[in-house]
Amino acid sequence: MTTARNFALATAMLGALAACSGGSHQGEGDQGGVFGALGQVAGQVVAERRGGGEAPAETAAPKSPQEAAAEALRVNQGPLIQAGFESLNRTQVMAMTGQNGALRTYMTPAEEALILRGGMLVGTRGLGNDLSVAEPQTEGLIRAGASGSGQRVMRYFSGDGLERPLQFACTVGAGPNPGVIVENCEGHGATFQNSYMVQGGQIAVSRQWIGPALGYVTIQTLRP
Amino acid sequence: MRRSMLIRRLMATTLPAALLMGSVTSTALAEPMYGRNWSTYGLPGGIDTPTAETLPDGTLGATVSWSDYGRRSSVVFQAFPRLTTVLRYSRVDGINDYRNDGYISDRSFDLRFQVLDEQGWRPAVAVGLQDFMGTGVYSGEYIVATKTVTPSVRVSAGIGWGTLAGKPRTIDARDEGGTPNVDDWFRGDAKPFASVSWQVNDKLSLVAEYSNETYQTFYSDRSEPAQQGDEEPGSNLNLAAYYQLGRNYQVGLYTIGGETFGAQFTVALNPREATYPSGLEKAPAPVRPRPAPSADPEGWSGQWAQDPTAQPAIQTALGDAMAKEGQVLESMALTGNRAEVRIRNQRYINQSEAIGRTARLMTRALPPSVETLVITSTADGVPTSSVTLRRSDVERLENTEAGQIAAASVLSDAPASAPGLVRSPETYPRFQWALKPYVDLGIFSAEDGLTHEVGAEARASYEIAPGLILTGALRQRAFGDISQRGPGIPGQRGEHYTAEEYLADPSLETTPEGLPRVRSDTRMYTGNSDPVIPELTLAWYAKPTPTVYTRVTTGLLERAYGGVSGEVLWKPVNSPLAFGAEINRVKKRDFDQLFDFRDYEVTMGHVSAYYEFADGFTAQLDVGKYLAGDKGATLTLTREFANGWRIGAYATKTDLSAEEFGEGSFDKGVTLSIPLGWATGQPSRERVTTTLRSLSRDGGAQLNVNGRLYDRVRDSHSVKLYEGWGRFWR
Repeated sequence: MTTARNFALATAMLGALAACSGGSHQGEGDQGGVFGALGQVAGQVVAERRGGGEAPAETAAPKSPQEAAAEALRVNQGPLIQAGFESLNRTQVMAMTGQNGALRTYMTPAEEALILRGGMLVGTRGLGNDLSVAEPQTEGLIRAGASGSGQRVMRYFSGDGLERPLQFACTVGAGPNPGVIVENCEGHGATFQNSYMVQGGQIAVSRQWIGPALGYVTIQTLRP
Repeated sequence: MRRSMLIRRLMATTLPAALLMGSVTSTALAEPMYGRNWSTYGLPGGIDTPTAETLPDGTLGATVSWSDYGRRSSVVFQAFPRLTTVLRYSRVDGINDYRNDGYISDRSFDLRFQVLDEQGWRPAVAVGLQDFMGTGVYSGEYIVATKTVTPSVRVSAGIGWGTLAGKPRTIDARDEGGTPNVDDWFRGDAKPFASVSWQVNDKLSLVAEYSNETYQTFYSDRSEPAQQGDEEPGSNLNLAAYYQLGRNYQVGLYTIGGETFGAQFTVALNPREATYPSGLEKAPAPVRPRPAPSADPEGWSGQWAQDPTAQPAIQTALGDAMAKEGQVLESMALTGNRAEVRIRNQRYINQSEAIGRTARLMTRALPPSVETLVITSTADGVPTSSVTLRRSDVERLENTEAGQIAAASVLSDAPASAPGLVRSPETYPRFQWALKPYVDLGIFSAEDGLTHEVGAEARASYEIAPGLILTGALRQRAFGDISQRGPGIPGQRGEHYTAEEYLADPSLETTPEGLPRVRSDTRMYTGNSDPVIPELTLAWYAKPTPTVYTRVTTGLLERAYGGVSGEVLWKPVNSPLAFGAEINRVKKRDFDQLFDFRDYEVTMGHVSAYYEFADGFTAQLDVGKYLAGDKGATLTLTREFANGWRIGAYATKTDLSAEEFGEGSFDKGVTLSIPLGWATGQPSRERVTTTLRSLSRDGGAQLNVNGRLYDRVRDSHSVKLYEGWGRFWR
């Protein structure tokens, strides 16, 4: 893995050798604020139809997750979550940038995205080893706080450039801590355990498995 | 029905689940017997002896192995799950050919086919041809079986002919090489060989083998065998230790017969093992569903379409949004219920990602009454295909399995123009430039070993109108050891004319066989200390019918030729078959690579047939007349992956005899192309491309004009588009 990165690094440096270039195709790097591209699309194209508020401004000094959450809540009027990516060792506030039915897309300032359906992780974008889409049959059980079992299909974009489904057999039941629903899944020689705190059918706090490379993300709703 | 089957087949991955799961799974599952260490010949094996192991399908590796017997540089490619191919460039020490250097340089080519895989008690069995096309210094054949004894111990035993039996083939000192030596295969004495490998832990493996290799060479014009290195191996027993560094590298130390020691280094890449398989590009703008009709009656009524200011405003906003995602909105047609956009993808290796992002941006930009979304891809200002989507499908299927939106879309040929298309302001004329360093490497040259040249290149393009492009490049060499030199002196192998000699006598520009020197004097174009113009062209791309594409390029087409090049291609969007024709009238450029020409002038060209097989293989057959006026055909087979990796091989045979052609007998080579984004994770259409070709010869030489149509058109056509469709929702 590390050597693959080294190779990637070496090739990147090759690319960086390219000293300079110009022309009308330069599209990146000029957005000052957050969600530059998205904000501008929404702002310019359909200004009158745009709901929600402005995204939180990027800040210079590192903050504790609590400080970051507090500031985001102050600056941004829209729905917010706080996501802790365990394997990446970082916690970030993510703001909702789009809603399509029950699907909500939340993004970090660097435009990495989590796609959630009522708190259930459906996909990730921009993280390099993304989950394309999750199709959990267990979703109804989890929301209802019931016990049972079901299949969970997780689709990934694999190294050969194709989307590939992995199937897991999952059981859902009450966890050791009160109010926590636990989903245990097994398949392809791997096991993982998702935990959910459900309030009124919505998953308010959870720890969910993204995939083999990214591991778990903990998701906390700051503002629904 | 047929179409959805095609989509399903193209979008199916053959990757084992274990690979995707990475380190999570134990490898207890039965998986094919992949080689754990590399032989001195650059294949999975013992030390000098082969095994029946393979590599994961698609693996591309390179091994350099040094010992007192010489240095072997091998490039290996697992072309099919059972077929391993090797191209090798060796320096064999201690023996002499006409150059009398104390060593010879030799190219060789190996094939190994795994006939049976390991199952239960049955060992894997492979048959191999070693150095079966070259002059034959390593020539030999084998049948070998490999069996897993314990999870960490594998035993191989086989029977070998030629070099593997210690009976090297006699080399014909006058032979030009390059053709299969079929008469020798599996002939002469055969002897057994064996090896055992022990995987001590994740990183270290130890190998012992019994080999009959004697490291001798027999020449037809000498009675005594020549000894490679200093002496014959002291015994038949060879030992080695290999150490794996991460996933991609391996180092090894070995002894041949106990007295000669060697070291080797291997790097191996598998196109399926990207560091960031899904890429690091920023998340796409999500779909914006339409409001209920009651909330926006005006938008739903379509009356806004009567307002002449509506389209320019929408087009500008959509174009700006697309520019942020690396795309150009070239033109747009908008009515109350239908929108067509023509886009130029400048960022994503898979066209489906450009189309998917555009579709989402359209849901954000267009009034709600627009239900039909048509996204037309363009290349060089010419439309190549249209994907038609229902907006309600885009809303309904966002972030579902990519196959669902593929099934709900329609792919069709795009006409050159469509009613109502309005060009985006300020897209033409378009000027782009870049200033980059360049590095030219000569790697597989028998005469010179590794050579290089480093300098700077400025490149600019000016697109006057869609399809009309002026391109120029200017190079300045900084340093390097690729100097100007004439071609080899006929009859005196290893000797070259000096540049002055070659310039002084124009008759030298024709070989003694009467062939014009169209490529063998390539080195005359190098070593310029003044600026040179590698390319300066005006190209016009057009599309007379929805399935026919044309190109006319004029100017300084390449380093050595200028003139006019015309091409026509028939490629329906849903057809795996395509036909093309190209005709060129070119004149040889002067060696200073400025605006002067030499005397040689030729009209040449070819007709081509292209076919896209399932599973990522494409074939191309060109038949026609080449630069030197010789007539013949080129067959190219390419394997490509949805992630953009391309590995191909080609061979050209013309009506020249092997003697007229010279060393190598006919032109052949290997091309590699790796997308930069595969390695870095950053989205980019940039590629690292290289061609390993046998030698610069005059027979079967092709014009190197830029902008040939097939590869440009095909990115958005059915096979490649659906193969990469998994990126639609990326």
